[in-house]
Amino acid sequence: MTPQERTAWVFTAPVLTIITVVFLAPTILALALSVTDYSIYAAADVRNISFVGLGNFGELFSTPLFWRALGNTALFAVLGVPMAIGASLFAALLLNDASVRWKPFWRVALFAPYVTSVVATAIVWRFVLNTRFGLLNYALDLIGIGPVDWLGDPRSSIPAILIFVTWKIFGYNMIVFTAALSTVPTHLMEAARLDGASRWARFRDVTLPAIGPTLLLAAVMSVAGFLQIFAEPYIMTMGGPAQSTVTVLYFMFDEGFKWWNLGQASAVALILFVLILAVTFVQTRIGKRYEWL
Amino acid sequence: MLGMIPAAMLAAACSPRRDPNALVLWAMSYQGDYSPYLTTRFTADTGIPVEVQSIPWTAAHEKLLTAHAGGVLPDVLMLPNSWISEFQMIGAIAAVPSPTLVSGLFPGLVEGSRISGRDYAVPWSVAPLVQYYRRDILEDAGYATPPVTWDGWRTMAARIKRRRPDDHVFLALVNYEGWLFTMLAQNGAYPLRERDTRGNFRTPEAREAFAYYASLFRDGYAPLASSTEIQDPLAAFAAGQFAIWEGGATWLLDMRRRAAELPPERWGAARVAGPRGPGPTSAKDVSLSVSTTSHRPAEAWALVRHLTSSESELRFATMISTLPARVDAWDGLDIPPRVLQPFREQAHDLAVSPMVVGWERIQIEVQLIAERIVRGLMTIDEGLAEADRRADRILAKRRSLVESGRIA
Repeated sequence: MTPQERTAWVFTAPVLTIITVVFLAPTILALALSVTDYSIYAAADVRNISFVGLGNFGELFSTPLFWRALGNTALFAVLGVPMAIGASLFAALLLNDASVRWKPFWRVALFAPYVTSVVATAIVWRFVLNTRFGLLNYALDLIGIGPVDWLGDPRSSIPAILIFVTWKIFGYNMIVFTAALSTVPTHLMEAARLDGASRWARFRDVTLPAIGPTLLLAAVMSVAGFLQIFAEPYIMTMGGPAQSTVTVLYFMFDEGFKWWNLGQASAVALILFVLILAVTFVQTRIGKRYEWL
Repeated sequence: MLGMIPAAMLAAACSPRRDPNALVLWAMSYQGDYSPYLTTRFTADTGIPVEVQSIPWTAAHEKLLTAHAGGVLPDVLMLPNSWISEFQMIGAIAAVPSPTLVSGLFPGLVEGSRISGRDYAVPWSVAPLVQYYRRDILEDAGYATPPVTWDGWRTMAARIKRRRPDDHVFLALVNYEGWLFTMLAQNGAYPLRERDTRGNFRTPEAREAFAYYASLFRDGYAPLASSTEIQDPLAAFAAGQFAIWEGGATWLLDMRRRAAELPPERWGAARVAGPRGPGPTSAKDVSLSVSTTSHRPAEAWALVRHLTSSESELRFATMISTLPARVDAWDGLDIPPRVLQPFREQAHDLAVSPMVVGWERIQIEVQLIAERIVRGLMTIDEGLAEADRRADRILAKRRSLVESGRIA
């Protein structure tokens, strides 16, 4: 080992140690747990654990609520990712316009929800979404739309939570997009304008290719985020009504911490990991095809 | 060494105790909110401060389990009686040191929670079920008090339904397991078998109870509604949308607070109907335990003794409408005798219910099946077989441990 290599090891050792202790080891332990029947009985006596191979997975796949949770999570992601990214991009484009004044103020104001506590804001939004006294239904009433039981109706519960989530997180990607938009070459934009390209054509052919990689990154992160959605349904609906907002992570939390079936819960975690990996892989392939990466 | 400083500061910041001399009590819901009214007296008498933490029911089980795993359980904790065996099994709660703590209680209340001949919790209240009825609606149908047999209930329901075709007679929410399991208990259908390691739903008694339950929905006496649809049962009861509600004493608190909506002369309470007259039902409620990790068990038990005294239980009865677990405290209750009588009779007639881990989940699963039956998605016999299958699955680990002799 050269002195240089030694120095490198010394510098990286603290980080590597922390990663091993707080990330690698728990991950490996969770993997190991997923092939055991670790349950409340094991908390009484560790000798009560036994190896069950893929039994946990078989049991999961025959549990209707697990499939329901997968479906709900998919719905969250399918509706939520376009909603959140669309809102971010829209806000970023608005703020990018030369005619907008007080830009720093708007950036801070729109970014603020992202840095507030999710629990506090979710409770506030529960009031906003209240059927009888909520601000949202009050506004809808003004334009003649009857009261919507946002969090009490199984059909509107996911959209209701998504409205909140979008409001909460769009500021982050908005800032990222704002940075990306500043890299759009002005000479191309001006050339396009001189050639008579419409607003939409300029967006599609000049802006979009320039921010493509950023868009892909935001999509990957958002999908991963939405597949792990937990705190919002936990605080706003407790998984209800009629289990319509039970997500995969919520299911895992209940199995693991409420009922202490940590073996089963670890199996859920592993499935979720594989799912996110697969979706990310597909997204990367799409990105490569469009030469964004 | 310097690196340890932030960690130590963090540990201090996370420490659940602000006052190192205080005993810590965790209780759920109303009991948690109102316990400080009881503990001030204890502190005045003994000089020991008590810190109460109120926990919502919806997060209680995970909070207690994770606290046990992390070794930070409070000195005294409230448990619903159905969790006692689980927390005893994982070694979280200590045995009751003195038999005087559990004497003078309703017979069956202590015995029903005893594990291998030892007590691990002191019952704090008893929760017998009664049927609340709308006096005026029943009188209109020719009844001064509701019938207490299943056949009688159906005859009365038919009469009420003829007079009020748009309303219902019973409100048995399809996502609430109480009605069905009361019927099972009253019909003598003990739900588990083989030392509580398997489901026992394919019996004539269970079948009869399921069939009776389903008949109330089939004939339109009970609406196919869940608690998300009828969010305010008392308002619906006051509006006459149904005439019979099965519930515990905590409803008395709502009745008292909302007497303007439903004046006392318009409702009454009677014993729940059984197949051939009133029968035993489960009236288990909540208990107090001392954790095995408490550093001051003697003082913790003194707090339990104070909280479960007749005087404290009576104060709770006034404040939050729980019924005292101590029989002698009942004479001090400020409830009209005609309302109190059915509660008293039912509290003396307690059913035995399983004391095993997973029992709560089995009830939830069986109620999901019952909902499918009343919605016509399953026949009763298919439902009973499915109930046994799900119970067997939930109890699989327990079965293997019992068979190998690892747990009793």
